Amino acid sequence: MNVPDDLNYTSDHEWARSEEGGGLRVGITDYAQDALGDIVFVQLPEPGAKVSAGDSFAEVESTKSVSDIFAPVSGTVTEINQDLTDAPQRLNEDPYGEGWLCVIVPDTDGAEPELLDADGYRKLIES
Amino acid sequence: MSDPGTDLRHSPLDEAHRVLGARMVPFGGWEMPLSYPSGTIAEHQACRAGTVAFDVSHLGTVRVSGPDAFATLQRTLTNDLAKIGPGRAQYTHLLDEVDASVLDDIIVWWVDEESFDVMPNASNTARVRQAVGGTDVTAERAVIAVQGPQARAQLATVVPEAASVGRFRVAPFSWRGEACVAAGTGYTGEDGVECSIPAAAAPAFWETLMAAGITPAGLGARDTLRLEAALPLHGHELGPGITPLQAGLGWVVSWSKAEGFRGRAALEKERANGVRRLLAGLSTEGRQPPRAGAAVTRAGERIGEVTSGNFSPVLGHGIALAFLPPGVTPGTAVEIDLRGRPVPATIVKLPFVEKKKD
Repeated sequence: MNVPDDLNYTSDHEWARSEEGGGLRVGITDYAQDALGDIVFVQLPEPGAKVSAGDSFAEVESTKSVSDIFAPVSGTVTEINQDLTDAPQRLNEDPYGEGWLCVIVPDTDGAEPELLDADGYRKLIES
Repeated sequence: MSDPGTDLRHSPLDEAHRVLGARMVPFGGWEMPLSYPSGTIAEHQACRAGTVAFDVSHLGTVRVSGPDAFATLQRTLTNDLAKIGPGRAQYTHLLDEVDASVLDDIIVWWVDEESFDVMPNASNTARVRQAVGGTDVTAERAVIAVQGPQARAQLATVVPEAASVGRFRVAPFSWRGEACVAAGTGYTGEDGVECSIPAAAAPAFWETLMAAGITPAGLGARDTLRLEAALPLHGHELGPGITPLQAGLGWVVSWSKAEGFRGRAALEKERANGVRRLLAGLSTEGRQPPRAGAAVTRAGERIGEVTSGNFSPVLGHGIALAFLPPGVTPGTAVEIDLRGRPVPATIVKLPFVEKKKD
């Protein structure tokens, strides 16, 4: 499974990439997309939505099941990947690139998010 | 790796699936391929455009033979075997004596004058054997379903005898000296041939199909394909409390045969009183898959429940089967509750996807 070194991860199989300007770009991992199978539908929050760390804020559906996506941090959704409406298969094809889900700007007064580094996430999925 | 499937039965093709990188899942007491690395949608499209092969060895084969075989099946199952003959196949039901529920839906291969291969769903094999007797020969063979518009042409490059079997016909054929059976049956809404191969020879037969360029397909694609074709799945559109008439399968029931069938009295009552619900097709605009158990509402009132639903790879939107009051006709606007969100849907004629005309 592909686990890029420069990302942070949750134990629920989301990744987060720090962007210039303080936002976090968020998606699901290669492991997650492989386990889900062919993804046919993605339900994303509206830009401006407030999300809380660990709470479900999006849904991804494959031909076989529905999965909740959990927010890696508390904050505000500033951008969503509109392309996924018509091309949800991007999550399977390119989970760390074109298959990104949204950008969340973390709350400034929020607690520091507890995310895994690449080694920590590798250990999790190999155990 | 530990084997999570130690209590599960395995197909003679199990090793071949693992070599192909299949994702294996438990299904009806068996561990079978859900999909191969190309994925469910690609496998689905391959079956609508070319040829795929499914391992359906988990279906049971109950061999009923002898001078009483015809009479036993004829008085137990709903369809009329007298309408066909040796060398033909028939879709039929086994009903509950008391309430005419469909205990199983079955394909019968009339292999030879006094020999029938009765093919139940995996988890209903014991129940069907109890009803019709016979010998469970499931472990002795693999069944491979070769399906798709190019299925016969592709199969002909491997075994022409099997490829030429007619629709709903059954014919023995020989492959590398092994006695096999081909039937012009399937569960995808496409043309195709199902081949029963002795277990020991089955991996080599499968290999030959793969070498001929046929795409392997798993249970995931089998389910989306049968749904587009509006073919019922036991446990969803058929099962406890569901009669053939409610499922819109009255044609499977012979009222005229002298032998009757198990559950006839109960079904006759429903026929006289009219069904209280009927299987209908629903179509949504978006891609979100409707799921089994979702409530169907009309003007805020609950009128039924989805039995199967998914994203249709061919149509590009959601489709579902649901039991609704009999008066709800195609064109009616309803809503399906999908995880708390009401999604607009329209009643449509079945099947959702028609076989392409030749």
